[in-house]
Amino acid sequence: MNNPVVKLEKLYKSYYLAGNKEVPVLKDINIEIFQGEFVGIMGASGSGKSTMLNILGLLDLPTEGSYQLNGIHTESFSDNQLAEKRNEAIGFIFQNFNLFPHLTVEENIEVPMVYAEKSRKERRRFACDLADRVGLGHRLGHKPNELSGGERQRIAIARSLSNSPAFLLADEPTGNLDEKTSKEIMEMFHELHAAGTTIVMVTHNPEYENDFDRLIRLRDGRVVSKEEFLRGSHA
Amino acid sequence: MRKVDLLRLSIHNLLLHKIRSFLTSLGIIFGVGSVIAMLAISEGAKKQALKQIEAMGINNIIVYTKPPSLEGKNATDTSKQSMVEELGLTKQNLTHIQKMDNVKEVATMRNSRKIAQKGVTQLDVKLVSVTDNLSNILGIKTTSGRWLTPVDNANRSMVCVIGKNIRRKMYNLGEQKIIGSHLRIKDAILKVVGIVEDGGSNTVPEIGGINDMIFFPQKTSESLFKNVAIESAGGRSFKMTQIDYDVFFVRVKNTESIDHTARRIKAYLKKNHSKTKDWDLIVPLELFKQKEQTQQIFTIVMASIAGISLIVGGVGIMNIMLANIYERRKEIGTRRALGAKQSDILNQFLVETVFLTSIGGIIGVLLGVGISQAVTHYAKWPTVYSIWSIVFSLVISSAVGIIFGTYPAIKASKQSPIEVLRSE
Ligand SMILES: Nc1ncnc2c1ncn2[C@@H]1O[C@H](COP(=O)(O)OP(=O)(O)OP(=O)(O)O)[C@@H](O)[C@H]1O
Ligand SMILES: [Mg+2]
Repeated sequence: MNNPVVKLEKLYKSYYLAGNKEVPVLKDINIEIFQGEFVGIMGASGSGKSTMLNILGLLDLPTEGSYQLNGIHTESFSDNQLAEKRNEAIGFIFQNFNLFPHLTVEENIEVPMVYAEKSRKERRRFACDLADRVGLGHRLGHKPNELSGGERQRIAIARSLSNSPAFLLADEPTGNLDEKTSKEIMEMFHELHAAGTTIVMVTHNPEYENDFDRLIRLRDGRVVSKEEFLRGSHA
Repeated sequence: MRKVDLLRLSIHNLLLHKIRSFLTSLGIIFGVGSVIAMLAISEGAKKQALKQIEAMGINNIIVYTKPPSLEGKNATDTSKQSMVEELGLTKQNLTHIQKMDNVKEVATMRNSRKIAQKGVTQLDVKLVSVTDNLSNILGIKTTSGRWLTPVDNANRSMVCVIGKNIRRKMYNLGEQKIIGSHLRIKDAILKVVGIVEDGGSNTVPEIGGINDMIFFPQKTSESLFKNVAIESAGGRSFKMTQIDYDVFFVRVKNTESIDHTARRIKAYLKKNHSKTKDWDLIVPLELFKQKEQTQQIFTIVMASIAGISLIVGGVGIMNIMLANIYERRKEIGTRRALGAKQSDILNQFLVETVFLTSIGGIIGVLLGVGISQAVTHYAKWPTVYSIWSIVFSLVISSAVGIIFGTYPAIKASKQSPIEVLRSE
């Protein structure tokens, strides 16, 4: 089998409250994610899904354990190295889109490329291609508030793809959308998956259980089996 | 992040809130405006003072006859009525001063008010008899004709050179026609041989502006009029005063020791005129130094005010940038998630602040130039602004941006991206 894109080993994450009170959030996480996989993360509210995604996205650092990205240990990365990796290897998609309201669709898609120091010409060409790919090539000059929620999320997806990252991280990308639009967005992820993109998605919605190649179930910060998970949720 | 993109981003953000950006930089605008105006006004005042003093001569000591104050005079008047009274600088004084160590030469001036007549035009003029070296010592130049010569003096020639205002008031002829024409003063008739160029506000102590003078040779004067002036005292009694000279313009050899020479002249005159102090002495260089000192105090006060307004402006900008950063924390977090380094965020906000203050500085420069123009126009004060003061203000305003923009920018760059993305 090929090397994993992401490999977490014995990973722990705790938050520390005032007075050094420890709040353990993730416990003994061991996960591998491979090239081309579409992985779902599910779990109750507060089970640590977002925390895990933040760590995968190099926005947050584990308290203990190791995280290898494409075979490289990231624990000792400097802040600049982390930023560079986020920029070139990871595509973020947020529940509330997080588009820049004062920038046009095209400029929004270009932002990661600006930090990658790509030329304006190159950025423009690539932004047009990506907008076409998410079916919004005709909306390049619009501002985000002139778009529907579904369209906004598609722009966010286009933006996440702009530096051709190793994988996409999506935290409840359909959480703010109605059912029909959610389906369209899921459809879009399936298209990307079919084209070979590696995707990790957090979701609450049990309906999507069968959309993923593989499902990681979290309970109280631990990865659990399907049986354990169901038992837990019944209890 | 490339520099072009950094600049574009900052300009874009400033233009998003034009009014706010403008209001934010008001402190800088007024600060820089007052710096520019202050420098222009004080430079102008300095230049004017320098010009005046230069006209009196940096190498000169001016000694002049100064009638004692009225009370003292009245007391002597009643006791010694209708006697010819000796007053002021004497021939003996002149020869003594001329022989002093550091003295190069002395020009003299004697004023007698006379009515000058040209055809039907009558004019109360300052008719001054001078030595020919006066033009050298005071740097007097003629626009037409010539200045007085040693030959004029030796021959007691009936010639004169007239000042700018005399020429304007008495003649509506062209300058060429004036040269060679004749002026009648009492019973004497003087031929005009030259016209002096505009002396500006250049004045001689106790006599007045050189533009109002008619100059003629000292020896001519001695043979024409006895050096006696008739003055009316209080309208009732008349008094005769004999004054040999009104002014000595003493040129020194070495400017370094001009103070020493001035002290020696003072000491000598004090002894020689021990009864009443009917003389005084000016060292233009000293005057200039004094003026410069008061000017300096003025400049320091103004600079402090300008400095304080720049600091207040800077603190205002810092405040608004901090609020701005709080408002845009979600943008910052998102940028960080998409790959912005801390330095990218820091630079973004720092460049924004520096842009704001620099543009404020440019507007301030225009405002300052406007203010000094207005001052020149309405208050008739001369103002001088140098490229240097403009460059200085622009550097200062950028520096204010860096000083007061760094803390907010660092704060923005240190924000943790997760905290920001979490908060809704
Ligand atoms: N900065 C923090 N300081 C202290 N505790 C935190 C912090 N961030 C998260 N937590 C805690 O960590 C736990 C996991 O939070 P996380 O956001 O990962 O949950 P989640 O699974 O994403 O929940 P949801 O489905 O509601 O989004 C929660 O109990 C939360 O209170
Ligand atoms: Mg969450």
